[in-house]
Amino acid sequence: MDDILNQIAICVEAGKINKTSPYPPSMKDQDGADELARKALEQGCKPDDILEKALIPAMANVGNKFSRKEIYVPQMLMSAKAMSGAMMHLKPYFQSGETKRKGTFIIGTVTGDLHDIGKNLVSMMVEGGGWEVIDLGVDVSSEKFLKALSEKPDAVIGLSALLTTTMENMKKIVADIKAKSSTSKIMVGGAPVTQDYCNKIGADFYSPDPQGAVNYLNQLAK
Amino acid sequence: MGSNSKMNFLKTVNHEQPDRLVVDFGSTGVTGIHVLIIEKLRDYYGLEKRPVKVTEPYQMLGEVDNELIREMDIDVIGLFGAKNMFGIPNENWEQHKTLWGQEVLFPGDFNYTFNNNGDILIYPEGDISVAPCGIMPKSGYFFDALERQQPIDGSGLRLEDNLEEFGLVSESELNYWKKQVDSLRDNDKAVMASLGGTALGDIALVPGLNLKNPKGIRGVAEWYMSTLAREDFIREIFERQTDIAVENLRKIFRVIGNRIDAAFICGTDFGTQTSTFCSPETYASLWLPYYKKVNDWIHRNTTWKTFKHSCGAVEQFIPLFIESGFDIINPVQINASGMEPQSLKNKYGDKIVFWGGGVDTQGAFAFGKPQEVKDQVKRQCEILNKNGGFVFNTVHNIQANVPFKNVVAMLEALKEIK
Repeated sequence: MDDILNQIAICVEAGKINKTSPYPPSMKDQDGADELARKALEQGCKPDDILEKALIPAMANVGNKFSRKEIYVPQMLMSAKAMSGAMMHLKPYFQSGETKRKGTFIIGTVTGDLHDIGKNLVSMMVEGGGWEVIDLGVDVSSEKFLKALSEKPDAVIGLSALLTTTMENMKKIVADIKAKSSTSKIMVGGAPVTQDYCNKIGADFYSPDPQGAVNYLNQLAK
Repeated sequence: MGSNSKMNFLKTVNHEQPDRLVVDFGSTGVTGIHVLIIEKLRDYYGLEKRPVKVTEPYQMLGEVDNELIREMDIDVIGLFGAKNMFGIPNENWEQHKTLWGQEVLFPGDFNYTFNNNGDILIYPEGDISVAPCGIMPKSGYFFDALERQQPIDGSGLRLEDNLEEFGLVSESELNYWKKQVDSLRDNDKAVMASLGGTALGDIALVPGLNLKNPKGIRGVAEWYMSTLAREDFIREIFERQTDIAVENLRKIFRVIGNRIDAAFICGTDFGTQTSTFCSPETYASLWLPYYKKVNDWIHRNTTWKTFKHSCGAVEQFIPLFIESGFDIINPVQINASGMEPQSLKNKYGDKIVFWGGGVDTQGAFAFGKPQEVKDQVKRQCEILNKNGGFVFNTVHNIQANVPFKNVVAMLEALKEIK
């Protein structure tokens, strides 16, 4: 069992999505994370083990490499896509409750902002870190965040903005959320966002990269 | 006799100390000013109140006309293509009211609709019978591309699909460019031209905003992944695209000659706030040869300087940009990792021109006090303008929400320096 779990982890780290994917060239025509996750379940691997022993450590390695600037956005996207392919096979077990996740993370790009590459990377990294992710998409208002939070009151919230014109909307959203739910944790990120800004608007955490977000969430889950 | 703008520009881009600081606002689509600020500038200078012409609608940049060039003491004027990024001809201007209530002028074919949320949808070539290509959120200040990536199936991608927008220059386009430069006769400003066709994998252009039914690789994430997973295919796109580009430049040069001083080559962003979008090795393999092809042709056949835009933390790429043949780097994002201005000037100041970097648009300019802006502008100019090699601009476009008192502070500082 460990062998196939190890292979899944290798595929996720390498960005080997499925058998037909040409990347990486060294793994051409080999099974990818998609096929291997399916096979692992067929062979009797527990979904928890696929998550805990393959996907989470693989994505943590990916996140740490990105933080250390050893890999870049394209590689992260490939790994995240490989992870998502494997994760599809685990979703029925999440829905049935057989496999538990660490918690819920609600994320969105704030009002007026349509940029989502960074937000999507964080979403995928957090999902790969064992969390349920509710991705509200882009141009998300306070009302949408609050609606999602009302359905998952214990969720941690993530706000993303790329623009100086839209990061100001983070302030309002943080205030609106804290007014309704003062104990909810809110993290912020995006190119123009800084620790100072996070402090100024009353958010709880700032991360300049996706792995930082995962580490923070894992700390909260302890 | 004092030096005029063009003379000073030529000094600074050849790394000689200009007699006066050289300043650009509005000569390119990455050194521009949002229409809201244009209106405020016109009011500040006591110019006639009239709707601002939206010369670049994707980012809602307004026309920096001769009146503003005079008042702001701008040294560089820009020439742009006959059509905007949505493929709509820049003609037959009509008045519209923006979401924030400003009266502006859009081209006659700038047809848009509203979705149920109140956001504005824009269409390729203004054709509302096809799927929209861009959206401005109701609380936004400019457009963003809508993803129109068609499924990529196992039967493979066709090169032609990603080259659809890169055709040979037409006779009417050549006539257009001739008219553009002819209109500059006796103008003593430097001239920057955005001739088109030379941007390699510019993520703003990958979605094919001007195409009614874009095929091939058109999604942002799909493109980034393709630089890894379909490297050979991307390389072929660049090979063919630059063949077309060089042929076009040859024809364009025959009609405009050396009456422009610089050409905007590419706006592909290689940097993030703290890192890059690929390794230097990937850049050297995938982009460098093709940039060099275009830049070498220009340097062998013209006197034009070549301009590269790249946001982000690109310090380790600057030697590669130089090797690629770029004369100018923009916007010099001074708050990104490794982009400290004195360090850049020390390392590269005699080899590449810094066009931008004048004030931090993510920091002091947007959120600071006027005195901070003034101090920063003066400090940046002192560092970057030493021995030339500098054209002042803000780090990228002046955005809609910049406090106008900070814009005034910047202009006052520039006036003092000049």
